[in-house]
Amino acid sequence: MTFAERMLKIDRRIIFLMIGLCTLLPLLYPVGLPIKVSSEVRGVYDHIESLPERSVFLLSIDFDPASKPELYPQAVALLRHAFRKHLRVVTMTLWVSGTGMADQLVTQVAKEMGKEYGTDYAFLGWSPGGQAVIINMGQDLYSAFPSDYNGKSTKDLPVLDGVRSLKDVGYMVSLGAGRPGVEEWYVFGKDKYKFELGGGCTGVMAPGLYPLLRSGQINGLIGGLRGAAEYENLIGQKGKAVAGMDAQSATHLAIIALVIMCNLFYFSLRQQRG
Amino acid sequence: MTALPFESIIGAWVATGLTLLIFSFLYKDNPLFKLAEHLYVGVSVGYVIVKTYDTVIVHLVVKPIVENGEIALLIPVAIGMLMLTRYVPKAAWMSRYAFAFIVGMGAGLAIPRTVSSFILKQVEDTIRPLLSMAGSDGVTFSMNLLNPDSHLNAIIILLGVSSVLFYFFFSIEHSGVGKAVARTGILFLMISFGAGFGYTVMARMSLLIGRLTDLIEFSDASYGRPTVWLSLLTVGALFLLARRGREQPPDIH
Repeated sequence: MTFAERMLKIDRRIIFLMIGLCTLLPLLYPVGLPIKVSSEVRGVYDHIESLPERSVFLLSIDFDPASKPELYPQAVALLRHAFRKHLRVVTMTLWVSGTGMADQLVTQVAKEMGKEYGTDYAFLGWSPGGQAVIINMGQDLYSAFPSDYNGKSTKDLPVLDGVRSLKDVGYMVSLGAGRPGVEEWYVFGKDKYKFELGGGCTGVMAPGLYPLLRSGQINGLIGGLRGAAEYENLIGQKGKAVAGMDAQSATHLAIIALVIMCNLFYFSLRQQRG
Repeated sequence: MTALPFESIIGAWVATGLTLLIFSFLYKDNPLFKLAEHLYVGVSVGYVIVKTYDTVIVHLVVKPIVENGEIALLIPVAIGMLMLTRYVPKAAWMSRYAFAFIVGMGAGLAIPRTVSSFILKQVEDTIRPLLSMAGSDGVTFSMNLLNPDSHLNAIIILLGVSSVLFYFFFSIEHSGVGKAVARTGILFLMISFGAGFGYTVMARMSLLIGRLTDLIEFSDASYGRPTVWLSLLTVGALFLLARRGREQPPDIH
């Protein structure tokens, strides 16, 4: 058996171990590689920066714990930015399986930033229907969410003063891991009710959302852990996303090396066999 | 240093344990992985059922009808109940009315909005001026590939869309000039698949980074070092399972 044959039949557990080490070592001993901010992430940041104090910022946490490593840091960075700008933060979710996580996330960041529930922020919870909820919110927010996550009437929340529907929202960001997510918020929300929309998504979904970005249908896009790291850099508060960037770069290099080696061995074997 | 709340410590031990059990699949399929997998499915489904019951049945149906007298809600409830007639063969035909309502309403809502958002808006964005008239400077052409709005990128997008659409046009044979155009379409498709795969790798690695970050955090003494103890326990259990597998002869029927 030639060297190329042996390498092509290598035990896959050796590759798992290699990728595991490439991820673990930079997490234990970070190098601090520079992170360049892309225009799509800056689009979201700049729009939040441009909002006047006490504007309404709606954040839809459309993911569940399965996508937590990518989207949770995005949500934390966005909430910190919005709270720092003293915006009225209204949060919700279209994913029933993410309800508890979303509540914990919003409560934790609000507590860290010293914000008061009801006055500075609210978590509306989940309402069934997916796209129908978006349409309902466009007509009457209180009909889609008669009560918040804690069962309190939404009409009694000071944070929603002057807000009747999606048309009264200053800026809306959907952090989506699938459907319903960013696309549904555009199709059934922004396209009909005309409010500014930004998006955040998992890395897998990002290429599919770039056409919406280019055509101006969304004004910014935070893609995956990399996007979260860029946002953390912009707000000057480094968190879990920035900490993971060295590991991300190391694993990408390892995978590129593996792809090149695999191709080299494959073609050398083909040449040997004529 | 302040002590961590008891629930955080328990949470750390459970999260670490389940992560390690799932990771044990990387060695080989084993009962520990199966246990964690079944727990994940069971807990997820249980959680969704409880949340849905509480939000939909209790808060959106029962409370408004009983406390606020919103009798009109009985209409959607009745349409929803028709779905359950699927379980009674003689009355199953009634469920078609509920399905008809859902399909009709869904299609009516989705078709115009989807056509507007994904076809008209995208066609509008694809057909951009390939040159621009800039006052006294006459005709201008921007070559910056990094600027999404440059004229060069507009030409690339036009070429990409046209060639990919031609590639999927099967009514004429792809030969001569047609072959060259179809090949260009394949090239654009390959670049698109490559970008998609790259992002997928990034996403999967992010998930691994997320779990390893938590495992590192939970190796701290304030949590009782669950990562260390449970790693040893998992490796020990895998070793015992492997030994037992060697001792027991394979079951041949």
